[in-house]
Amino acid sequence: MSFEKKYIRNFCVIAHIDHGKSTICDRILENTGAVEKRNLGTQMLDEMDLEQERGITIKLNAVTVSFKSKDGNEYVFNLIDTPGHVDFTYEVSRSLAACEGALLVVDATQGVQAQTLANVYLAVDNDLMILPVVNKIDLPSANIPLAYKEIENKIGLSTADVSLVSGKTGVGINDMLEKVVELVPPPGGDSEGPLQALIFDSYYNSYRGVVVLIRVKNGRVKVGDKIRLMQSGKSYLVTEVGIRTPKEMPTNSLECGEVGYLTAAIKDIKDVFPGETITLEEGGAEEPLPGYRKINPMVYCGLYPVDSQKYMDLKDALEKLSLNDSSLSFEPESSKALGFGFRVGFLGLLHMDVIQERLEREYNLNLILTAPSVKYRVNLTNGETITIDNPSAMPEPQKISSIEEPYVLASIMTPKDYVGAIMQLCQDKRGIYQDLIYFDDTRETLKYLIPLSEIIFNFFDRLKSVSRGYASLDYTLEGFRQSDLAKMDIYLNGDIIDALSTVVYKKSAYSRGLAIVSKLKEIIPKQQFEVPLQAAINGKVIARTDIKSVRKDVLAKCYGGDISRKKKLLEKQKEGKKRMKAIGSVEVPQDAFMALLSIDDDGE
Amino acid sequence: MASSLYVHIPFCAHICGYCDFTKVIYNEEWAFSYTKSLLKQLKETKIESKLKTIYVGGGTPSSLPSSLLEEILKELQPLLGEEYEFSFEGNPENLTEEKLLLLKKYGVNRLSIGIQSSKNKYLNLMGRAHSFEEGKKAVELAKRIGFVNISVDLIYGLPNETLEELQDDIDNILSLGTPHISTYCLSVPSGTAWKNKGYEEMDDDLAASQYELILKCLREKGFRRYEVSNFALEGYESKHNLVYWKDEEYYAVGLGASGFTNGERFTFTKNLTSYINNDYEGERERLTRKDMVEEYFLTNLRLEEGFKKMDFMEKFGIEEFADYIPHIEYLKKQGLIEETDDSIFATDKGILLLDRVLLELFE
Repeated sequence: MSFEKKYIRNFCVIAHIDHGKSTICDRILENTGAVEKRNLGTQMLDEMDLEQERGITIKLNAVTVSFKSKDGNEYVFNLIDTPGHVDFTYEVSRSLAACEGALLVVDATQGVQAQTLANVYLAVDNDLMILPVVNKIDLPSANIPLAYKEIENKIGLSTADVSLVSGKTGVGINDMLEKVVELVPPPGGDSEGPLQALIFDSYYNSYRGVVVLIRVKNGRVKVGDKIRLMQSGKSYLVTEVGIRTPKEMPTNSLECGEVGYLTAAIKDIKDVFPGETITLEEGGAEEPLPGYRKINPMVYCGLYPVDSQKYMDLKDALEKLSLNDSSLSFEPESSKALGFGFRVGFLGLLHMDVIQERLEREYNLNLILTAPSVKYRVNLTNGETITIDNPSAMPEPQKISSIEEPYVLASIMTPKDYVGAIMQLCQDKRGIYQDLIYFDDTRETLKYLIPLSEIIFNFFDRLKSVSRGYASLDYTLEGFRQSDLAKMDIYLNGDIIDALSTVVYKKSAYSRGLAIVSKLKEIIPKQQFEVPLQAAINGKVIARTDIKSVRKDVLAKCYGGDISRKKKLLEKQKEGKKRMKAIGSVEVPQDAFMALLSIDDDGE
Repeated sequence: MASSLYVHIPFCAHICGYCDFTKVIYNEEWAFSYTKSLLKQLKETKIESKLKTIYVGGGTPSSLPSSLLEEILKELQPLLGEEYEFSFEGNPENLTEEKLLLLKKYGVNRLSIGIQSSKNKYLNLMGRAHSFEEGKKAVELAKRIGFVNISVDLIYGLPNETLEELQDDIDNILSLGTPHISTYCLSVPSGTAWKNKGYEEMDDDLAASQYELILKCLREKGFRRYEVSNFALEGYESKHNLVYWKDEEYYAVGLGASGFTNGERFTFTKNLTSYINNDYEGERERLTRKDMVEEYFLTNLRLEEGFKKMDFMEKFGIEEFADYIPHIEYLKKQGLIEETDDSIFATDKGILLLDRVLLELFE
């Protein structure tokens, strides 16, 4: 299958979470007649259940459809879906790089959000033609003039070509697609040049190996070609190419400008990072396409089965999940408190959440997650530098000359009124002021360098609370910087619980120690004996509280009708007890280990 | 085979904020239809032999007018054998002389009077419709008419209640001179008015101290705590309630009433309209062996005397008992239960932590 390049349009949809991207994508599929209405789930492109439930797109996807324009020609649209969360910025940028245009969806009831802007910048970086789309115009609270104003002032786009649509009712979708034909440029590139194909996504299929989604930038690729991944240097024989409609449809070749899939008996998804360039083994391109970046996990946590018998099940499940998720990494680790488990690396907290839920739901595992940590660089007195992603692996203090931690550049867009409160929050979180960018009469963007560890420690919730939900956050990794840090240990009933160790900023160690022990006191149920809880640095106790012993735990009234009810309650409690981990003689609920995340660091 | 019967009267003159029993505000028309439906249900209940105990509870059974009361009592009395306990619950505000005489006439020989507290401020807070003075009068009246076996309730763990207040309360309740006292720690079940208002239950530490005070004072006066919340002078234990705690079977009639016959626990409908239309069915649960063992512990361990090992083995077999030995040993080591040659029972500490004891025994 081969189309003339001038009839191809490659574009994606950019939107803030909840602004209706998936609904619009579904409407596009309907209007192009690619899939009939009855075959549509609620939101076609979000394949995973979890994505549908959370209303967010996690993995990218692409689909090829045809559109009959009023100019009489039939066009091929390649619609490339993008994930909508800060954890996945790089993946978004790679899928944008596969397009020439982007539909920018703005919610008519909410205006332009910071996350949208971040992706607009990405689109601009990739030289995309941006077509503004104002969605949800059917809602009574829609404010179209405001949306226009924001598109002009905040994004700096002309409103001449704005499409007014309702993803819900389908109004305006067809006109929007005509604009795609008219304004999004057809793909460029040299059909006869050496092959350069951009990988923007991949997934695992147990029969065919890794299925790679590509955009052919130059040249062509066909079955039987010997290809080479330019960054990893690995070579493969192409076994299948085709397009997704969204069902996979094999074709003979993929031509310059086209978007489709390719299989080549690639066994490990970790060999095909998004952003890689595919070329031919013989007569290939000299240079890879620009923009490749190896994605590394930013956040690490320990994952342990509550029932230690389930260690192998957890291992299998992680292996299966990582087949389809090249950004998920894991290594075995062990904890005195929790037994055998894994240290798992994630792109961010959302990614961590999603993986945890999938493990619990799809693999029926009962898990304990330890508090997430970042990677620290520890410079030792002997001149060596080591990197640790688990606080309990921190060397003894006398061996450490300095500790460096990752910083991110955070962009926080907020209505003016909250700038003061947010600056205070950023200061509290050890932020280093970079810039305050005036946006319009009402909004500004704050830029701060902030330790990543502070971002994962309750930053987002605090930001939402000081800005009444108005501020939004985007961040990118900036680099490592030296900080005054120390490992803080938690003692439960006199024993160190290694899984609760954290690396803290020394100046806030006292208040954080107190906050942690107080929080644990709330979470750990009373035992039959008093349980001391202490936070210590270098063996020195800096905060202490005691869990009092329980003295009364009995139902006052138990007459005829109460017996069944009480029995059921106790059975339920017994189930809950199974979800607790016995550490020494103390029963600790699963969520105690994550409690460190949800505390306020002002010690309250 | 069951030889006890529970009869539920759901009506109350008013609703107390902490109550989660099946109850409705008294209404003459409903009370009339209810009585008819109740007696129909009683007639349909296959009671196979003479009863040893009947308990008329509520709600507030004394809220019924004498005429309806008499209709019910008339049907109940003939069901009793020679030796029996016939209990009736009432509140001070409607246990009139007329009704007490009626109860006496139809063989009622045990009264449970809802006194709850001797502090009028707490009675008001709880939304009770009587003062302590009225409660006292009701007890005196009942005694005068010839009732000896009288029980009163005492609620503790009230919002901000101090140990001093409780001590005074205990003394006042003791001064009523009844041979049976039930003491309940205030609980605030979901769905009650108090829960909705945001009242909280007393901290377990304080509540434990209050309970221990009650235990000490009542023991000094010769009362035995024969069950977690029930105290009696020798011979005045509630025989009917002992049926529940010994995990024995019993019949039941009435709105939302629960019974236990032929290895099946059931609760009749809690919907008054359905009940009045003679549509009694609610929930039924056929007990598995596991249920039976769990319920055996759940009920018997509430008794100070616990259970007889032979009794357990006769019911469930010696192997079943052997399975529990490690758990029993563990609980003994924790000082929560004690074992003698023939019995197993919860210690004073274990009774206060009975839920934890049971969790250890539940599989």
